[in-house]
Amino acid sequence: MDKKVKVVPCSGIGKVFGLMAREAALETVIELCPEKSETVCLAYLVTGDKEVKEQIEGFNCITVDGCPKMCAAKNVSIAGGIVIEEIKVLDTVKEHKGKKFGSPTQLDADGEVVVNEIAAKIAKIINEKK
Amino acid sequence: MVENYAILPCNGLDKCAGVISGEIAKKLCENEKNEIICPVFYRVADAKYNKIAGEHPLLVIDGCPTRCASKLAAEKNLKISQRILITEEAKYHHIELNSGLRILENEKSLIEIILNGLNKAEAKPTKVSKETKASYNFDYETFQNGKFIFRVPKNSEVYYNENDCWAYVVGNLARIGVTDFVQQNLSDILYFTPPEIGAEIDQFGEVGDIESSKALVELISPVSGKVVSINESLVHQPEMINENPYELGWVAEIELTDFESDKELLIGFDKYFELLKKKVEGSNG
Repeated sequence: MDKKVKVVPCSGIGKVFGLMAREAALETVIELCPEKSETVCLAYLVTGDKEVKEQIEGFNCITVDGCPKMCAAKNVSIAGGIVIEEIKVLDTVKEHKGKKFGSPTQLDADGEVVVNEIAAKIAKIINEKK
Repeated sequence: MVENYAILPCNGLDKCAGVISGEIAKKLCENEKNEIICPVFYRVADAKYNKIAGEHPLLVIDGCPTRCASKLAAEKNLKISQRILITEEAKYHHIELNSGLRILENEKSLIEIILNGLNKAEAKPTKVSKETKASYNFDYETFQNGKFIFRVPKNSEVYYNENDCWAYVVGNLARIGVTDFVQQNLSDILYFTPPEIGAEIDQFGEVGDIESSKALVELISPVSGKVVSINESLVHQPEMINENPYELGWVAEIELTDFESDKELLIGFDKYFELLKKKVEGSNG
């Protein structure tokens, strides 16, 4: 098993901030840090499957949550992942008060800006991690 | 056509097929009559999603043969109306999916084929929200506590429950919503889950919920009856409740079934205004 940091977003479906969490995770693992990070399917993880649990257990993880339910952070932690950072989309969203971010199915330009900021934040954490 | 469905995607993220599953679900939910079920949150929010799944035909979309979404539906004893397995569809249509997580040309083609196939299916009847033509004119009294200003309608037609919800009664109809106390406490409201059109609501029954980064609040109906319309603008702009919870931010209109009886358990402006002051002062410690 490699030592890539696992970037795990909430499922991100049905709400715009969830979509932003998911997009930020994809931006990180595909574009910004493909060598140092990868993602794990949270929907699969919550089924309790042994195989997917092994991908998380004992590994450094960064969770990205779209709402205060913190599904990603909670479930990764329960599965034995070492959560080195809990990213909350709302923290970044609050810095963009008054903007429209899009819908649960499609991000607007301001939504993309927030996604890029979150992805950059995650990438910085990954790159600073030895 | 897939309309008025509950959509349960696996929403997988570590395989291209899972990403396609989520993408198809999102496309289907551009039709606002469809409801999406989050496969992760469903494990902790039974009540919310059981209701959606119970009131709509269910379309399950699995990305890979692990079939997480189908397993979840089985665990929850849901009746599946239609089921799609993305990897099987790709095989059937001779489309090779990429090994990454991005939607490229092949994946776009498959999504289009699947959506076209779904849209050829038989149309289902839908329930439509029709805002009534009743007239609601509010006359406010205000109460200030520090920087917070609380407005309370003092019209005799407006009734309150102790859960800080109001009902403006006109004839056989009531428009309902939350008071300034709720919106001030929640701060920026981010989400609104409306009640189902046509749903029969008991007095003090749940009639949707609103959520901010601080808390989730279930809306407690002051009156009993049938939901005849909802404020559809709130679904995409729940912040309108913060702007004005009485006018722009009303929640639903209810056709009353037994208001004479409901009224006995409600309070008018005078009592609610006093209650509000106590609550505000109490919340300041």
